[in-house]
Amino acid sequence: MTSRTVITGIGVIAPNGVGAGAFWKATQSGLSVLDRVTRAGCEHLPLRVAGEVRGFDPGAMVEDRFLVQTDRFTHHALAAADLALEDARLGRADYEGDPFSFGVVTAAGSGGGEFGQRELQHLWEQGPRFVGPYQSIAWFYAASTGQISIRRGLKGPCGVVCSDEAGGLDAFALAVRAIRQGSRAMLVGATEAPLAPYSIVCQLEYEGLSTSDDPERAYRPFTDKACGFVPAEGGAMFVVEDEEEAGRRGATVRAVLAGHAATFTGTRRRDAAGEGLAHAIRGALREADCAPEEIDVVFADALGTPEADAAEAAALTAALGAYGRKVPVTAPKSGTGRAYCAAPALDTAAAILALEHGVVPPTPNVYDVCHDLDVVTGSARPAELRTALVLSRGRMGSNSALVLRKGASANE
Amino acid sequence: MSDRLTLEELAVLMKTAGITVDPTEMARRPDSAFDEYGLDSLGLLGIVGELATASPNIMPFLVPPYDSTSTPTVFVNVRIG
Repeated sequence: MTSRTVITGIGVIAPNGVGAGAFWKATQSGLSVLDRVTRAGCEHLPLRVAGEVRGFDPGAMVEDRFLVQTDRFTHHALAAADLALEDARLGRADYEGDPFSFGVVTAAGSGGGEFGQRELQHLWEQGPRFVGPYQSIAWFYAASTGQISIRRGLKGPCGVVCSDEAGGLDAFALAVRAIRQGSRAMLVGATEAPLAPYSIVCQLEYEGLSTSDDPERAYRPFTDKACGFVPAEGGAMFVVEDEEEAGRRGATVRAVLAGHAATFTGTRRRDAAGEGLAHAIRGALREADCAPEEIDVVFADALGTPEADAAEAAALTAALGAYGRKVPVTAPKSGTGRAYCAAPALDTAAAILALEHGVVPPTPNVYDVCHDLDVVTGSARPAELRTALVLSRGRMGSNSALVLRKGASANE
Repeated sequence: MSDRLTLEELAVLMKTAGITVDPTEMARRPDSAFDEYGLDSLGLLGIVGELATASPNIMPFLVPPYDSTSTPTVFVNVRIG
Protein backbone atom coordinates (compact mmCIF):
# COMPACT_ATOMS: atom_id res chain seq x y z
CA MET A 1 0.00 0.00 0.00
CA THR A 2 1.59 3.25 -1.09
CA SER A 3 -1.05 5.55 0.27
CA ARG A 4 -3.19 5.41 3.36
CA THR A 5 -6.94 4.96 3.36
CA VAL A 6 -8.79 7.70 5.16
CA ILE A 7 -12.26 8.62 6.33
CA THR A 8 -13.46 11.95 4.98
CA GLY A 9 -17.16 11.88 5.77
CA ILE A 10 -19.38 10.69 8.63
CA GLY A 11 -23.16 10.23 8.53
CA VAL A 12 -25.00 9.13 11.66
CA ILE A 13 -28.60 8.12 12.33
CA ALA A 14 -28.58 7.14 16.01
CA PRO A 15 -31.01 6.83 18.91
CA ASN A 16 -29.28 9.79 20.53
CA GLY A 17 -29.09 12.03 17.49
CA VAL A 18 -29.40 12.45 13.74
CA GLY A 19 -26.19 13.80 12.25
CA ALA A 20 -22.67 13.53 13.63
CA GLY A 21 -22.95 16.80 15.55
CA ALA A 22 -26.06 15.85 17.52
CA PHE A 23 -24.73 12.32 18.03
CA TRP A 24 -21.44 13.56 19.46
CA LYS A 25 -23.08 16.14 21.71
CA ALA A 26 -25.22 13.42 23.29
CA THR A 27 -22.44 10.84 23.34
CA GLN A 28 -19.84 12.99 25.05
CA SER A 29 -22.39 14.14 27.62
CA GLY A 30 -23.10 10.54 28.64
CA LEU A 31 -26.79 10.94 27.96
CA SER A 32 -28.70 7.65 28.03
CA VAL A 33 -31.65 7.49 25.65
CA LEU A 34 -32.62 3.91 26.40
CA ASP A 35 -36.35 3.81 26.92
CA ARG A 36 -39.38 1.59 26.84
CA VAL A 37 -40.14 0.05 23.45
CA THR A 38 -42.93 2.06 21.82
CA ARG A 39 -43.15 0.49 18.36
CA ALA A 40 -46.61 -0.73 17.38
CA GLY A 41 -47.22 -4.41 17.95
CA CYS A 42 -44.42 -4.81 20.48
CA GLU A 43 -46.43 -4.06 23.62
CA HIS A 44 -46.89 -7.70 24.61
CA LEU A 45 -43.34 -8.85 23.89
CA PRO A 46 -40.86 -9.55 26.71
CA LEU A 47 -38.31 -7.09 25.31
CA ARG A 48 -39.14 -3.92 27.26
CA VAL A 49 -36.23 -1.53 26.69
CA ALA A 50 -34.44 -0.57 23.46
CA GLY A 51 -32.65 2.24 21.70
CA GLU A 52 -35.22 3.60 19.26
CA VAL A 53 -34.39 6.25 16.66
CA ARG A 54 -37.15 8.78 17.27
CA GLY A 55 -35.76 11.95 15.74
CA PHE A 56 -35.66 10.75 12.16
CA ASP A 57 -38.23 11.48 9.46
CA PRO A 58 -37.36 9.29 6.45
CA GLY A 59 -39.67 11.31 4.19
CA ALA A 60 -37.66 14.45 4.85
CA MET A 61 -34.44 12.86 3.62
CA VAL A 62 -35.32 10.14 1.11
CA GLU A 63 -37.48 10.31 -2.03
CA ASP A 64 -40.83 8.47 -2.04
CA ARG A 65 -39.83 6.09 -4.81
CA PHE A 66 -37.02 4.75 -2.61
CA LEU A 67 -39.07 4.76 0.58
CA VAL A 68 -41.83 2.55 -0.82
CA GLN A 69 -39.43 -0.13 -1.97
CA THR A 70 -37.20 -0.29 1.11
CA ASP A 71 -37.29 -1.21 4.80
CA ARG A 72 -36.50 1.09 7.68
CA PHE A 73 -32.91 -0.22 7.91
CA THR A 74 -32.33 0.96 4.34
CA HIS A 75 -33.99 4.30 5.09
CA HIS A 76 -31.33 4.71 7.78
CA ALA A 77 -28.59 3.74 5.32
CA LEU A 78 -29.77 6.05 2.54
CA ALA A 79 -30.02 9.00 4.91
CA ALA A 80 -26.70 8.26 6.63
CA ALA A 81 -25.01 7.95 3.23
CA ASP A 82 -26.34 11.38 2.27
CA LEU A 83 -24.99 12.87 5.49
CA ALA A 84 -21.60 11.24 4.96
CA LEU A 85 -21.33 12.50 1.38
CA GLU A 86 -22.35 15.97 2.51
CA ASP A 87 -19.78 15.87 5.30
CA ALA A 88 -17.10 14.80 2.82
CA ARG A 89 -18.21 17.49 0.36
CA LEU A 90 -18.33 14.78 -2.26
CA GLY A 91 -21.01 15.37 -4.86
CA ARG A 92 -22.14 13.63 -8.02
CA ALA A 93 -20.04 16.00 -10.10
CA ASP A 94 -16.93 14.61 -8.39
CA TYR A 95 -17.46 11.06 -9.65
CA GLU A 96 -20.02 10.96 -12.46
CA GLY A 97 -17.20 11.06 -14.97
CA ASP A 98 -15.88 7.81 -13.48
CA PRO A 99 -18.71 6.09 -11.59
CA PHE A 100 -16.82 2.78 -11.61
CA SER A 101 -14.28 4.23 -9.19
CA PHE A 102 -16.81 4.66 -6.37
CA GLY A 103 -18.44 1.69 -4.63
CA VAL A 104 -20.47 0.72 -1.57
CA VAL A 105 -20.02 -1.80 1.24
CA THR A 106 -22.51 -2.25 4.05
CA ALA A 107 -23.05 -4.78 6.80
CA ALA A 108 -26.42 -5.94 8.07
CA GLY A 109 -27.52 -8.57 10.53
CA SER A 110 -31.23 -8.04 10.99
CA GLY A 111 -32.40 -7.21 7.48
CA GLY A 112 -35.76 -5.73 6.56
CA GLY A 113 -37.92 -7.37 9.19
CA GLU A 114 -40.58 -4.67 9.34
CA PHE A 115 -41.15 -4.66 5.58
CA GLY A 116 -41.12 -8.45 5.47
CA GLN A 117 -43.61 -8.75 8.30
CA ARG A 118 -46.04 -6.39 6.56
CA GLU A 119 -45.93 -8.35 3.32
CA LEU A 120 -46.25 -11.69 5.13
CA GLN A 121 -49.34 -10.32 6.83
CA HIS A 122 -50.74 -9.40 3.42
CA LEU A 123 -50.01 -12.92 2.23
CA TRP A 124 -51.79 -14.67 5.09
CA GLU A 125 -54.65 -12.21 5.54
CA GLN A 126 -55.44 -11.38 1.89
CA GLY A 127 -53.55 -13.76 -0.37
CA PRO A 128 -50.51 -13.79 -2.65
CA ARG A 129 -51.90 -11.16 -5.02
CA PHE A 130 -51.57 -8.62 -2.21
CA VAL A 131 -47.85 -9.16 -1.67
CA GLY A 132 -45.94 -6.29 -3.26
CA PRO A 133 -43.06 -6.99 -5.65
CA TYR A 134 -40.54 -5.11 -3.51
CA GLN A 135 -40.78 -7.88 -0.92
CA SER A 136 -38.33 -9.68 -3.19
CA ILE A 137 -35.59 -7.17 -2.38
CA ALA A 138 -36.50 -5.03 0.64
CA TRP A 139 -35.98 -7.62 3.37
CA PHE A 140 -32.65 -8.75 2.03
CA TYR A 141 -29.39 -7.82 3.78
CA ALA A 142 -27.97 -6.53 0.50
CA ALA A 143 -30.77 -3.99 0.01
CA SER A 144 -28.91 -1.03 1.50
CA THR A 145 -25.80 -1.46 -0.62
CA GLY A 146 -27.93 -1.91 -3.74
CA GLN A 147 -30.22 1.04 -3.11
CA ILE A 148 -27.37 3.41 -2.21
CA SER A 149 -25.48 2.46 -5.37
CA ILE A 150 -28.60 2.86 -7.55
CA ARG A 151 -29.68 6.15 -5.99
CA ARG A 152 -26.22 7.68 -6.17
CA GLY A 153 -25.15 6.15 -9.48
CA LEU A 154 -22.18 4.35 -7.90
CA LYS A 155 -20.91 1.54 -10.14
CA GLY A 156 -17.67 0.60 -8.40
CA PRO A 157 -17.07 -2.47 -6.20
CA CYS A 158 -20.16 -3.21 -4.13
CA GLY A 159 -20.47 -5.73 -1.32
CA VAL A 160 -22.39 -6.75 1.75
CA VAL A 161 -21.02 -8.31 4.91
CA CYS A 162 -23.45 -10.73 6.54
CA SER A 163 -21.08 -12.14 9.10
CA ASP A 164 -22.47 -11.11 12.47
CA GLU A 165 -22.24 -7.91 14.46
CA ALA A 166 -18.51 -7.68 13.80
CA GLY A 167 -19.33 -7.28 10.12
CA GLY A 168 -19.74 -3.60 10.90
CA LEU A 169 -15.95 -3.43 11.24
CA ASP A 170 -15.19 -5.99 8.54
CA ALA A 171 -16.96 -3.73 6.03
CA PHE A 172 -14.14 -1.22 6.50
CA ALA A 173 -11.60 -3.89 5.57
CA LEU A 174 -13.46 -4.57 2.32
CA ALA A 175 -13.54 -0.86 1.58
CA VAL A 176 -9.82 -0.53 2.23
CA ARG A 177 -9.17 -3.43 -0.12
CA ALA A 178 -11.27 -1.77 -2.83
CA ILE A 179 -9.29 1.45 -2.40
CA ARG A 180 -5.99 -0.45 -2.58
CA GLN A 181 -7.20 -2.07 -5.79
CA GLY A 182 -7.78 1.30 -7.39
CA SER A 183 -11.15 2.68 -6.34
CA ARG A 184 -11.10 6.37 -5.54
CA ALA A 185 -13.81 6.31 -2.90
CA MET A 186 -16.18 3.98 -1.07
CA LEU A 187 -19.30 4.47 0.99
CA VAL A 188 -19.06 2.06 3.91
CA GLY A 189 -20.95 1.40 7.12
CA ALA A 190 -23.86 -0.43 8.68
CA THR A 191 -27.44 0.31 9.69
CA GLU A 192 -30.11 -1.79 11.35
CA ALA A 193 -33.81 -1.61 12.24
CA PRO A 194 -34.48 -4.67 14.41
CA LEU A 195 -37.33 -3.28 16.52
CA ALA A 196 -40.39 -4.49 14.58
CA PRO A 197 -42.43 -7.28 16.22
CA TYR A 198 -41.23 -10.01 13.84
CA SER A 199 -37.61 -8.93 14.29
CA ILE A 200 -37.91 -8.81 18.07
CA VAL A 201 -39.44 -12.28 18.22
CA CYS A 202 -36.43 -13.55 16.27
CA GLN A 203 -34.13 -12.06 18.92
CA LEU A 204 -35.85 -13.44 21.99
CA GLU A 205 -33.67 -16.53 22.10
CA TYR A 206 -30.47 -14.51 21.71
CA GLU A 207 -27.91 -15.15 24.40
CA GLY A 208 -27.58 -12.03 26.50
CA LEU A 209 -30.71 -10.17 25.37
CA SER A 210 -31.79 -8.07 28.35
CA THR A 211 -35.47 -8.24 29.21
CA SER A 212 -35.20 -5.80 32.10
CA ASP A 213 -37.94 -3.17 32.10
CA ASP A 214 -35.79 -0.47 33.72
CA PRO A 215 -33.99 1.73 31.16
CA GLU A 216 -31.32 2.66 33.69
CA ARG A 217 -30.56 -0.94 34.66
CA ALA A 218 -31.21 -2.91 31.50
CA TYR A 219 -27.70 -2.59 29.98
CA ARG A 220 -24.80 -2.19 32.39
CA PRO A 221 -21.73 -3.88 30.92
CA PHE A 222 -18.63 -4.49 33.06
CA THR A 223 -20.60 -4.32 36.31
CA ASP A 224 -21.71 -7.06 38.68
CA LYS A 225 -25.27 -6.08 37.74
CA ALA A 226 -24.67 -6.89 34.07
CA CYS A 227 -27.80 -8.62 32.74
CA GLY A 228 -27.24 -8.56 29.02
CA PHE A 229 -27.58 -6.02 26.24
CA VAL A 230 -30.35 -3.82 24.94
CA PRO A 231 -30.90 -3.82 21.16
CA ALA A 232 -31.02 -0.65 19.12
CA GLU A 233 -31.59 0.67 15.62
CA GLY A 234 -29.85 3.23 13.42
CA GLY A 235 -26.25 3.22 12.28
CA ALA A 236 -23.56 5.12 10.48
CA MET A 237 -22.12 5.46 6.99
CA PHE A 238 -18.72 6.82 6.07
CA VAL A 239 -16.92 8.10 3.01
CA VAL A 240 -13.58 6.32 2.68
CA GLU A 241 -10.98 7.54 0.20
CA ASP A 242 -7.43 7.08 -0.85
CA GLU A 243 -5.49 9.71 1.08
CA GLU A 244 -3.84 11.19 -2.00
CA GLU A 245 -7.16 11.42 -3.84
CA ALA A 246 -8.73 13.07 -0.82
CA GLY A 247 -5.85 15.52 -0.65
CA ARG A 248 -6.17 16.36 -4.34
CA ARG A 249 -9.74 17.46 -3.94
CA GLY A 250 -9.03 19.30 -0.69
CA ALA A 251 -11.05 17.01 1.55
CA THR A 252 -10.64 17.06 5.30
CA VAL A 253 -9.24 13.81 6.67
CA ARG A 254 -11.35 12.81 9.66
CA ALA A 255 -9.35 9.67 10.52
CA VAL A 256 -6.96 7.11 9.07
CA LEU A 257 -8.03 3.47 8.76
CA ALA A 258 -4.78 2.08 10.09
CA GLY A 259 -5.42 -1.59 10.83
CA HIS A 260 -8.05 -4.32 10.95
CA ALA A 261 -8.16 -8.00 11.72
CA ALA A 262 -10.92 -10.55 12.25
CA THR A 263 -11.21 -14.04 13.70
CA PHE A 264 -13.97 -16.61 14.07
CA THR A 265 -14.42 -18.74 17.17
CA GLY A 266 -17.85 -20.33 16.77
CA THR A 267 -21.15 -19.87 18.53
CA ARG A 268 -21.73 -19.77 22.28
CA ARG A 269 -18.01 -19.93 23.00
CA ARG A 270 -17.37 -16.82 25.04
CA ASP A 271 -14.17 -18.33 26.42
CA ALA A 272 -12.83 -18.93 22.94
CA ALA A 273 -14.21 -15.56 21.83
CA GLY A 274 -11.85 -13.85 24.28
CA GLU A 275 -8.87 -15.58 22.72
CA GLY A 276 -10.22 -14.83 19.27
CA LEU A 277 -10.72 -11.17 20.11
CA ALA A 278 -7.17 -10.93 21.48
CA HIS A 279 -5.89 -12.43 18.25
CA ALA A 280 -7.89 -9.90 16.24
CA ILE A 281 -6.50 -7.04 18.33
CA ARG A 282 -2.94 -8.23 17.75
CA GLY A 283 -3.60 -8.50 14.03
CA ALA A 284 -5.07 -5.01 13.80
CA LEU A 285 -2.14 -3.54 15.75
CA ARG A 286 0.31 -5.35 13.49
CA GLU A 287 -1.31 -4.00 10.33
CA ALA A 288 -1.34 -0.52 11.85
CA ASP A 289 2.30 -0.88 12.94
CA CYS A 290 1.04 0.19 16.33
CA ALA A 291 2.48 -0.69 19.76
CA PRO A 292 -0.04 -1.50 22.51
CA GLU A 293 0.93 1.64 24.43
CA GLU A 294 0.02 3.78 21.43
CA ILE A 295 -3.66 2.93 21.89
CA ASP A 296 -5.17 5.92 23.68
CA VAL A 297 -8.74 4.67 23.99
CA VAL A 298 -10.67 1.45 23.48
CA PHE A 299 -14.29 1.39 22.33
CA ALA A 300 -15.36 -1.91 23.81
CA ASP A 301 -17.77 -4.48 22.41
CA ALA A 302 -19.46 -4.57 25.84
CA LEU A 303 -21.93 -7.40 25.36
CA GLY A 304 -23.07 -6.94 28.94
CA THR A 305 -23.07 -10.49 30.29
CA PRO A 306 -20.61 -11.38 33.06
CA GLU A 307 -18.92 -14.09 31.00
CA ALA A 308 -18.61 -12.02 27.84
CA ASP A 309 -17.39 -8.94 29.73
CA ALA A 310 -14.76 -11.03 31.51
CA ALA A 311 -13.66 -12.49 28.18
CA GLU A 312 -13.29 -9.01 26.70
CA ALA A 313 -11.29 -7.78 29.70
CA ALA A 314 -9.05 -10.83 29.41
CA ALA A 315 -8.62 -10.23 25.69
CA LEU A 316 -7.44 -6.68 26.30
CA THR A 317 -4.88 -7.87 28.82
CA ALA A 318 -3.79 -10.73 26.57
CA ALA A 319 -3.29 -8.44 23.60
CA LEU A 320 -2.07 -5.25 25.27
CA GLY A 321 -0.28 -6.75 28.29
CA ALA A 322 -0.44 -4.86 31.58
CA TYR A 323 -1.34 -1.75 29.58
CA GLY A 324 -4.71 -3.40 28.94
CA ARG A 325 -5.63 -2.58 32.53
CA LYS A 326 -4.59 1.07 32.17
CA VAL A 327 -5.90 2.13 28.79
CA PRO A 328 -9.17 4.10 28.98
CA VAL A 329 -12.07 1.89 27.91
CA THR A 330 -15.49 3.20 27.00
CA ALA A 331 -18.79 1.80 25.74
CA PRO A 332 -21.13 4.65 24.77
CA LYS A 333 -23.56 2.04 23.45
CA SER A 334 -24.72 1.42 27.03
CA GLY A 335 -26.66 4.67 26.57
CA THR A 336 -28.01 4.00 23.08
CA GLY A 337 -28.26 0.23 22.85
CA ARG A 338 -26.45 -2.34 20.82
CA ALA A 339 -27.46 -1.98 17.19
CA TYR A 340 -26.01 -5.30 16.02
CA CYS A 341 -23.85 -4.68 12.89
CA ALA A 342 -24.44 -0.96 13.27
CA ALA A 343 -23.04 -0.92 16.81
CA PRO A 344 -19.37 -0.97 15.75
CA ALA A 345 -20.18 1.52 12.99
CA LEU A 346 -21.59 3.93 15.59
CA ASP A 347 -18.58 3.20 17.80
CA THR A 348 -16.30 4.06 14.89
CA ALA A 349 -18.11 7.39 14.47
CA ALA A 350 -17.78 8.06 18.21
CA ALA A 351 -14.09 7.09 18.12
CA ILE A 352 -13.34 9.51 15.26
CA LEU A 353 -15.18 12.31 17.05
CA ALA A 354 -13.37 11.46 20.29
CA LEU A 355 -10.01 11.69 18.50
CA GLU A 356 -10.98 15.04 17.03
CA HIS A 357 -12.22 16.53 20.29
CA GLY A 358 -9.66 14.99 22.64
CA VAL A 359 -12.37 13.58 24.87
CA VAL A 360 -13.20 10.03 25.90
CA PRO A 361 -16.99 9.82 26.17
CA PRO A 362 -18.35 8.02 29.23
CA THR A 363 -20.20 4.73 29.55
CA PRO A 364 -23.78 5.66 30.53
CA ASN A 365 -25.55 3.80 33.34
CA VAL A 366 -22.25 2.19 34.44
CA TYR A 367 -20.81 3.21 37.82
CA ASP A 368 -19.52 0.13 39.61
CA VAL A 369 -17.04 -1.61 37.32
CA CYS A 370 -16.14 -5.09 38.54
CA HIS A 371 -13.39 -5.90 36.04
CA ASP A 372 -9.75 -4.85 36.09
CA LEU A 373 -10.29 -2.22 33.42
CA ASP A 374 -10.16 1.58 33.37
CA VAL A 375 -13.74 2.03 32.18
CA VAL A 376 -14.60 5.71 31.76
CA THR A 377 -17.79 6.33 33.70
CA GLY A 378 -19.77 9.31 34.93
CA SER A 379 -18.53 12.12 32.71
CA ALA A 380 -16.29 12.53 29.69
CA ARG A 381 -12.55 12.43 30.27
CA PRO A 382 -10.32 14.92 28.42
CA ALA A 383 -7.22 13.25 27.00
CA GLU A 384 -4.73 13.63 24.20
CA LEU A 385 -6.00 11.06 21.76
CA ARG A 386 -4.11 9.98 18.66
CA THR A 387 -5.11 6.35 18.22
CA ALA A 388 -8.32 4.47 18.99
CA LEU A 389 -9.14 0.77 19.03
CA VAL A 390 -12.71 -0.30 18.21
CA LEU A 391 -13.80 -3.82 19.11
CA SER A 392 -16.77 -5.94 18.08
CA ARG A 393 -17.88 -9.51 18.65
CA GLY A 394 -20.72 -11.30 16.98
CA ARG A 395 -23.34 -13.54 18.48
CA MET A 396 -22.30 -16.27 16.08
CA GLY A 397 -18.58 -16.10 16.80
CA SER A 398 -17.02 -13.31 14.76
CA ASN A 399 -14.45 -11.08 16.47
CA SER A 400 -13.00 -7.95 14.89
CA ALA A 401 -10.72 -5.08 15.80
CA LEU A 402 -10.14 -1.78 14.02
CA VAL A 403 -7.34 0.72 14.68
CA LEU A 404 -8.04 4.36 13.81
CA ARG A 405 -5.48 7.17 13.77
CA LYS A 406 -6.36 10.80 14.28
CA GLY A 407 -7.04 12.59 11.03
CA ALA A 408 -4.80 15.55 11.70
CA SER A 409 -1.82 13.21 11.55
CA ALA A 410 -2.78 12.15 8.05
CA ASN A 411 -0.91 15.01 6.45
CA GLU A 412 2.16 14.86 8.65
CA MET B 1 -62.69 -0.28 -15.24
CA SER B 2 -62.28 -0.70 -18.99
CA ASP B 3 -59.68 -3.02 -20.41
CA ARG B 4 -57.50 -0.05 -21.19
CA LEU B 5 -56.06 2.45 -18.74
CA THR B 6 -56.02 6.18 -19.11
CA LEU B 7 -52.86 8.14 -18.38
CA GLU B 8 -54.71 9.69 -15.44
CA GLU B 9 -55.40 6.24 -13.99
CA LEU B 10 -51.79 5.22 -14.61
CA ALA B 11 -50.54 8.32 -12.79
CA VAL B 12 -52.61 7.35 -9.75
CA LEU B 13 -51.17 3.83 -9.84
CA MET B 14 -47.62 5.17 -10.18
CA LYS B 15 -48.12 6.91 -6.84
CA THR B 16 -48.13 3.47 -5.21
CA ALA B 17 -44.55 3.08 -6.45
CA GLY B 18 -43.67 6.45 -4.96
CA ILE B 19 -43.67 8.19 -8.35
CA THR B 20 -45.52 11.47 -8.71
CA VAL B 21 -46.05 12.40 -12.34
CA ASP B 22 -48.48 14.68 -14.15
CA PRO B 23 -50.50 12.68 -16.75
CA THR B 24 -50.37 15.60 -19.13
CA GLU B 25 -46.58 15.38 -19.02
CA MET B 26 -46.77 11.71 -19.97
CA ALA B 27 -49.05 12.64 -22.85
CA ARG B 28 -46.69 15.38 -23.95
CA ARG B 29 -43.68 13.02 -23.92
CA PRO B 30 -45.00 9.83 -25.58
CA ASP B 31 -41.52 8.45 -26.23
CA SER B 32 -40.30 8.82 -22.64
CA ALA B 33 -39.71 5.46 -20.98
CA PHE B 34 -40.87 4.51 -17.50
CA ASP B 35 -37.33 4.67 -16.15
CA GLU B 36 -37.17 8.34 -17.08
CA TYR B 37 -39.95 8.87 -14.54
CA GLY B 38 -38.10 6.72 -11.99
CA LEU B 39 -40.28 3.62 -12.33
CA ASP B 40 -38.32 0.37 -12.42
CA SER B 41 -39.41 -3.12 -13.45
CA LEU B 42 -40.57 -4.08 -9.95
CA GLY B 43 -42.56 -0.86 -9.76
CA LEU B 44 -44.36 -1.75 -13.00
CA LEU B 45 -44.93 -5.25 -11.67
CA GLY B 46 -46.52 -3.70 -8.61
CA ILE B 47 -48.82 -1.60 -10.79
CA VAL B 48 -49.91 -4.66 -12.72
CA GLY B 49 -50.47 -6.41 -9.40
CA GLU B 50 -52.64 -3.52 -8.22
CA LEU B 51 -54.66 -3.75 -11.42
CA ALA B 52 -55.09 -7.50 -11.11
CA THR B 53 -56.18 -7.15 -7.51
CA ALA B 54 -58.71 -4.46 -8.40
CA SER B 55 -60.23 -6.34 -11.30
CA PRO B 56 -60.34 -10.10 -11.92
CA ASN B 57 -60.70 -9.33 -15.64
CA ILE B 58 -57.15 -8.05 -15.84
CA MET B 59 -54.69 -10.51 -17.33
CA PRO B 60 -51.19 -9.65 -16.10
CA PHE B 61 -49.56 -11.90 -18.69
CA LEU B 62 -50.89 -9.59 -21.42
CA VAL B 63 -48.62 -6.81 -20.19
CA PRO B 64 -45.49 -6.66 -22.36
CA PRO B 65 -42.21 -7.35 -20.52
CA TYR B 66 -40.55 -4.33 -19.00
CA ASP B 67 -37.48 -3.11 -20.80
CA SER B 68 -35.70 0.15 -21.31
CA THR B 69 -38.10 1.15 -24.06
CA SER B 70 -41.32 0.54 -22.11
CA THR B 71 -43.35 3.73 -22.09
CA PRO B 72 -46.53 4.84 -20.35
CA THR B 73 -48.26 5.50 -23.65
CA VAL B 74 -47.56 1.98 -24.94
CA PHE B 75 -48.66 0.56 -21.58
CA VAL B 76 -52.04 2.30 -21.62
CA ASN B 77 -52.69 1.23 -25.19
CA VAL B 78 -52.24 -2.47 -24.47
CA ARG B 79 -55.50 -4.34 -24.01
CA ILE B 80 -54.91 -6.11 -20.69
CA GLY B 81 -58.42 -7.26 -19.95
